[in-house]
Amino acid sequence: MSDAPILSVKGLRKEFGQRGGFLKPKGLKVAVDDVSFDIPKGKTLALVGESGSGKSTVGLMILGLLESTGGEVLFEGRSLASRSAADRHRFRREMQVVFQDPYASLNARMTVREAVTEGMRIHGIGASAAERDDRAKRLVEQVNLDASALDRYPHEFSGGQRQRIAIARALSVEPRFLVLDEPTSALDVSVQSQVLNLLRQLQNDFGLSYLFVTHNLGVVEYLADEVCVMQRGRIVERGTVDEVFDSPKQEYTARLLGSIPSTDPNVRRLTG
Amino acid sequence: MSQPLLEVRDLHTFLSSPRGTARAVDGVNFTVDPGQIRAIVGESGCGKSMTALSIMQLLPEPAGYIDRGQILFEGRDLLDLTWSQMGDVRGNDIAMIFQEPMTSLNPTFTIGNQVRESAIVHGKSKAEAQELALDLLSRVGIENPGATLRQYPYELSGGMRQRVMISIALANRPKLLIADEPTTALDVTVQAQILRLMRDMQRDFGMAILLITHDLGVVAEMADVVSVMYAGQVVEESPVHELFREPKHPYTRDLLASLPSREARGKALRVIGGTVPPSTAWPKGCRYANRCQFCDQVPWETPPPNNDLGDGVRVRCHLFDPGRTDEGRTEKGVPA
Repeated sequence: MSDAPILSVKGLRKEFGQRGGFLKPKGLKVAVDDVSFDIPKGKTLALVGESGSGKSTVGLMILGLLESTGGEVLFEGRSLASRSAADRHRFRREMQVVFQDPYASLNARMTVREAVTEGMRIHGIGASAAERDDRAKRLVEQVNLDASALDRYPHEFSGGQRQRIAIARALSVEPRFLVLDEPTSALDVSVQSQVLNLLRQLQNDFGLSYLFVTHNLGVVEYLADEVCVMQRGRIVERGTVDEVFDSPKQEYTARLLGSIPSTDPNVRRLTG
Repeated sequence: MSQPLLEVRDLHTFLSSPRGTARAVDGVNFTVDPGQIRAIVGESGCGKSMTALSIMQLLPEPAGYIDRGQILFEGRDLLDLTWSQMGDVRGNDIAMIFQEPMTSLNPTFTIGNQVRESAIVHGKSKAEAQELALDLLSRVGIENPGATLRQYPYELSGGMRQRVMISIALANRPKLLIADEPTTALDVTVQAQILRLMRDMQRDFGMAILLITHDLGVVAEMADVVSVMYAGQVVEESPVHELFREPKHPYTRDLLASLPSREARGKALRVIGGTVPPSTAWPKGCRYANRCQFCDQVPWETPPPNNDLGDGVRVRCHLFDPGRTDEGRTEKGVPA
């Protein structure tokens, strides 16, 4: 890869203090331990693992929504910590997030228009309200919703539609990098495919880079360029999709992949 | 052919709401033979869970009610039973496990209390119940059953809780286990363990399973026969191998084509456009017509017949109507 990575994570670490109790000493829980990876421009890195493996914690630390205990996150070679406040504000535009639950991540009291234009206003995108409105309209159409959606509230939409609104909101500030934290896990498969198609198309059209945090290995195979497998806070295996899925080197990875039910009843991996 | 263990006939389960009556289950038929695993697969709102709850008569009250139909268990209609007779069936002949094992266990009682309870309610002594509980927990793969019996639900992981639920369900050796999304809340490695466990129990006890799921992988892994539900109806019924080899109903085909995989990399996945019509006002004709790629080829305004294609395959779709004569119809009815 000749291009410098858009995002580098070096030696990232997160410890959570555990409160002591009667006869129970205070403890330290290491949720993320020495995690490092690079994401090249326009590529997708998938962070996979089971619940509690630390994958979502890594995403939150990259976004600056959770402070790390150690290590650093470099966006285009520069660390977030070394930036001035104004610079950090600019940097916020570059990186956006889509969470798992589109019921929780949209403000129920904001119309779609308000949700999609809020970020633009904060970051001074669009000279006037009319211009921002215009952009909002283009954004909802980009995520295959009708412009009439703008004046409606989140409760009027289905899960898949809400997730597309959340994506439109994320795109409203013209980010170059998205953290996608289980964006399709709450959706039916027929709706999941809409969101996956959209993400793939946006990457093609705008060269977006993704960190895809998921436990859904089918989605990883479909969308990711590289995979990091996490277990107990550490990356235990990494490689391209073909490398990791076809010849896993770690016993844990093999076990994880071997647990996925196949959609071929002739190959009953689990129950023989 | 021998008598099925369970036969659901023309089941109609409705939910009344301020916006009208939702016809959640609207004329569902299927059977489960002794020792068989039948999967009911479908997406949110298709009526699969309401079907399961109807069999157990555990519908949300007062909104939910069975409008008509029959639920024959070993030939006897469960809908004719009194509440207390039904209580004997539940947990004894038919047991049920749910998606969220945390909410199905009582947080204020120990695991032991809850595992023993089912045995005691159905007539075992305390000592017998204790022995049975130990045996059950070890059968479901819990390593130190004595210690687990003294623990509370919050002390156990999701997978362990689901094992406990299964042990409770198995306490009276039911002939039928209804499992409603039993692994949806679990990690894949734990899901694999639970599915293996259910398969073992089915083999060891000759227990039949009605498996309610949205996960086609779980269906392929577990089921003998499958009913695909859409909009309150079974749209396709098939032995599992046939279903995955040659899905017939356009909905089933769209579902399978929308699954992400490595083979599909770089290509657009199938998207099922539009939305499910509201259950308070199902369309008179085909319920999938507004989303179907083939609807221009068929008289979608009329309800499609439930065509019996033989070998246990039934498809509720005009494309498979043997009386259909228009062009483009291939031998088995499916346009390529």
